[in-house]
Amino acid sequence: MRIFALIACLTLGVSAQAAVKQAGKKAADPVIKVVAPPAAPVAPLGERTAIWHTWTDKEGQKVDAQFCGLSGDYITIQTRDGKTYHFKTDILIPEDVEFASNCVVRNRQNSFSPAIIASAAADIDRLVGVVLAANKQALNAPATDEQFLRRIYIDAAGRVPTAKEAATFLSSNAPDKRAKLIDELVFSPSYSMQMFNWMADLLRVKDTFGKGVPAFTFEDWLKTRIAANTPWDKLVFEMVTADGRLCDNGATGFMLFDAEMPLDGVSNLMTTFLGTNMACAQCHDHPLAEWKQRDFYQMAAFFGATSGKDSAILGAVNKAAKGDSGLPKAAVKKIAEMNSFRLEDMEKQKLTFPKDYKYKDAKAGEPVSPALIAWEKGDKSLPIYNVNTKSPAQLRDQFGHWLTSPQNPRFATNIANRIWKKAFGLGVIEPVNDIDDLTVASSTELMAHLTFVMKAAKFDLREVQRVIYNSKTYQASASATPDLGKAKYLFNGPIVRRLSAEEAWDSLIVTAVGTYADNVLLRRGDDLKAMALPAGKVTLAEVKSAIERTQKAFGGGGKAAGGKKAAGGSNLGLANGYEGAKPVSRFSMMLARASELPQPSPETHFLRMWGQGDRLLADSSTNDGSVPQVLQMMNGSVGKLVADSRSAAVIDAMKEKTPDAQVTSLYLSYLSRKPTGKELAVAGKSLKDGIGLTDLAWVLANTREFLFVQ
Amino acid sequence: MSIHYPSDLLRNPEDRRSFIEKCAKVSFGLSVLPFFSRIAEAAEAPGAVKAPNADLPGFGKAKRVIFLQLNGGMSHIDTFDPKTGASKGPGTAVSAKGDMQLTSYLPETAKISDKVTVIRSMTAKVGVHASASYIMRTGFEQRGTVQHPTIGAWAQHFLGASHKTLPSSVTVNRSSNHGNGWFPAAYSPLPILNPTDGLLDTKSAVGEELVAKRAGLLAQLDIGFEGKPMDENVKSYNEFYETTFQLMKSSDLKAFDISAEPAEVRARYGKSKFGQGCLLARRLVENGVRFVEVAIGGWDMHAALDDRLTDVGGDFDRVFATLIKDLESKGLLDSTLVVVATEFGRKPSFEGGGRGHHPLVFSSVLAGGGVKRGYVHGASDAKGYAPDGDGVSPGSLHATIAHAAGLPVQTDIITPAGRPMQIGNKAKPVTGVFA
Repeated sequence: MRIFALIACLTLGVSAQAAVKQAGKKAADPVIKVVAPPAAPVAPLGERTAIWHTWTDKEGQKVDAQFCGLSGDYITIQTRDGKTYHFKTDILIPEDVEFASNCVVRNRQNSFSPAIIASAAADIDRLVGVVLAANKQALNAPATDEQFLRRIYIDAAGRVPTAKEAATFLSSNAPDKRAKLIDELVFSPSYSMQMFNWMADLLRVKDTFGKGVPAFTFEDWLKTRIAANTPWDKLVFEMVTADGRLCDNGATGFMLFDAEMPLDGVSNLMTTFLGTNMACAQCHDHPLAEWKQRDFYQMAAFFGATSGKDSAILGAVNKAAKGDSGLPKAAVKKIAEMNSFRLEDMEKQKLTFPKDYKYKDAKAGEPVSPALIAWEKGDKSLPIYNVNTKSPAQLRDQFGHWLTSPQNPRFATNIANRIWKKAFGLGVIEPVNDIDDLTVASSTELMAHLTFVMKAAKFDLREVQRVIYNSKTYQASASATPDLGKAKYLFNGPIVRRLSAEEAWDSLIVTAVGTYADNVLLRRGDDLKAMALPAGKVTLAEVKSAIERTQKAFGGGGKAAGGKKAAGGSNLGLANGYEGAKPVSRFSMMLARASELPQPSPETHFLRMWGQGDRLLADSSTNDGSVPQVLQMMNGSVGKLVADSRSAAVIDAMKEKTPDAQVTSLYLSYLSRKPTGKELAVAGKSLKDGIGLTDLAWVLANTREFLFVQ
Repeated sequence: MSIHYPSDLLRNPEDRRSFIEKCAKVSFGLSVLPFFSRIAEAAEAPGAVKAPNADLPGFGKAKRVIFLQLNGGMSHIDTFDPKTGASKGPGTAVSAKGDMQLTSYLPETAKISDKVTVIRSMTAKVGVHASASYIMRTGFEQRGTVQHPTIGAWAQHFLGASHKTLPSSVTVNRSSNHGNGWFPAAYSPLPILNPTDGLLDTKSAVGEELVAKRAGLLAQLDIGFEGKPMDENVKSYNEFYETTFQLMKSSDLKAFDISAEPAEVRARYGKSKFGQGCLLARRLVENGVRFVEVAIGGWDMHAALDDRLTDVGGDFDRVFATLIKDLESKGLLDSTLVVVATEFGRKPSFEGGGRGHHPLVFSSVLAGGGVKRGYVHGASDAKGYAPDGDGVSPGSLHATIAHAAGLPVQTDIITPAGRPMQIGNKAKPVTGVFA
């Protein structure tokens, strides 16, 4: 390679000057802007009402709970104390099974009508179309049914379809079969798993906080909210304004992640929910954007009365524990730590400007008064800017209302842009974590339309995705990854992309065990409640009792047992944490979907090797390739899983009678399409030549086509 | 999901032979064209570009680089730049070898500090972990549309591969995260997430004959996807499959296996991830890998700074000193540059038992690879708040490492997007650190 490197260097050296000039010209070649007629209004969704019901099982036991979802034979409900339950409907009396089916119908009634979906999707196509036309580009050719099938399964269900699911769709002649499949998938349990993966990366969902304090309650809470399709604005409000202990209230997890670093937390929150890049302003005036260090501190002051750690309880537990020297120290420490993770608003807002503050607009060390940032001149006259900053204990709530209001100048746009990126591979504004300047959008009108749809959907992310998935733009064939350094991408179609770690894993899981895994749910948060101390003075008896409860829950095969010490990517210790169906394990791997495994998985697990984030920072997942990934796919436990006679895909294929039908079945399982004549011939020949169906499965899983979605 | 931009411009047409062809050759037992043997020829190739920095001191002394990333932001005042007065931390300043002062948290390093150069005038602008780490790793500020390469990828571009079958760059305890930047995916560092496990799954679970049959069938069936207008990321995976087939045949894979080290050596490095990671790094550079990054977290000490410095800092102290001594005893230190990098320093003032982020001044350490021994470059002011005089930017540090590694600095290359780029974003190397 060196020769060529040198040649490249030589030739480049000579032409560097010219290239610089050329590059300069290229950079000055902006997208031609056009003014398109505004999009049609989208009638807003009605208010959502939770469906509460007293459920009765066949033994006559009753429970009062909210309906969350129904998938196949499984129902999910949530009781008033926030716990969710996932179980087979056959334990319920028949009336309640029917009631559950009616709940599905009722829930769907509060979604966009087909006419609204069609109109909002058509506006996407029109707005993309005018920009493409003005720049002498066109939409890519429509995606084939095979391409669409695989893409919508990956995007909406987070996995490839099974051979049966693929064959059903491909053989259907219904004119509206795409719209029908979209709806089927966004209302399936896989949708919730897929949304969880996406949010977990954005919200930094982690099994442990600080020095190993378990945070399963946060995961459980998020899963519950997603299962109930809680709108984004409500979800965010709940997280930002949550009170109480992590062990009781999982919603506190988002804020408690940064308990030790409140300033970092504010900076992260602004980026995640508003796409506002205030990170630099944390230390100094932003060199490029408008933000001043003072702006950052004034925003941070809304959290200046919030305490993220109950230091008093740490001391109180240790003091109480001194009464019995026989108590295991590690257990005492664990109880103390767990109980100290709590969010509470104090009576005093304590934030001061830093001691090294060097600008004239405020004084170093002085108290900071909370104030909201604005992007445009008119922003501050919006009613939501009228916040009451008098009561420190109310500051966080006030901030939450401003943050999540449809009137907030960036909140809806931020999530609309991120949801768009989820479907297309790129945001209308890139990078998605910096949307302070809306004019850099590839189409400002498209961005405005998506923002509008988001608001009309009342932040129901499922509805917004239904609109996007039904557009011709989404249903166009994919483009190769564009070079954004050269030009903006105008959305000729979605972008070819490698499956995310979670999508690749979940696809391998469905080929290994079929749709069974869609009902294997991991819920470990309840065990943390065993660690909670009652309110009030901490006594020795309470500490002792909490330790006993904890040992029982964790050590005695409780749900939270295991998972932590598992080495080499094995999660077998998790077995007790599952609800609904129990997971299968093979080759020391727990065959559950990525959302139902530790968050994040251990470092050498397939998920991490393929780019699942460490969740220390928002958006920490990656899609870059590596040699260890390939080794794992070819030779590792995942390679063995694929080339195993117990594989669901292989068993499906073996049921077929002819070699051609067997090959076709495996193609449908892995690539969601039928083989071409040539492929049939090649594969058929090799089946006669010492290659088995398990080997063919291995081969298909190792194709680039399997790894990528077009 | 981020995007990267490998280069067609920079790619050898020879290497562009289709995946199928290569795959088939491997699988059918034919020899793969020895394209790595060209490295040797190229080294003697006439007309190689002379780097503008070739005549400055220290050029090309470092044949390999170990780049230690202390993630979270190492407090300079509590480690390599002790202060008195209000800024002073819980540790005390002690006299270390090589006529410098270090804090009492670094007793082992103090015994080998006569072999290192401490830079006390590092300066940067960003106090946010992700962006600041990116700058320290690449020498460039993060831009939404460009991925910048690590020194390892730059080196592979200018010098070729460092070994015929082993990768030229490896990351330990961290993902590769597009370390190839705009260079071909084959320049991407190979990530080892757990040094004790090393490189996993190098042997097939099935017999050689079946491997060959599977690979042959794979080569034939992957044509459909290859024929389509090719996405850069798809091409990357073709390259990874090629490289993997090569690597599986390598007899040098034992370089990844630290269990082959004597128990006594393993014990010296300690059982921590950082210790095992540094041992792996030493083993890798010894066997022909040019650039190894070893990451270790835990330095974000907003609270309980004393505890954490004792804990995380103590581990670093022992491991770093062991690494330097080990390289020295193997005669590798003069040709191996060890870099201690962290994304920023920490504030002179205390807030709640720890210190906040402080990019304005911080410390880095260089050892071996032709740098001065027992030397302190630059200084911070009395408080440890700002550089006293000229600061050294992350870009400069990169230019300095590149210079030591024999790479041309302040020399344009053109990226596939048509942009001129230089190592360290046009910064000059700090030649004062070289002996």
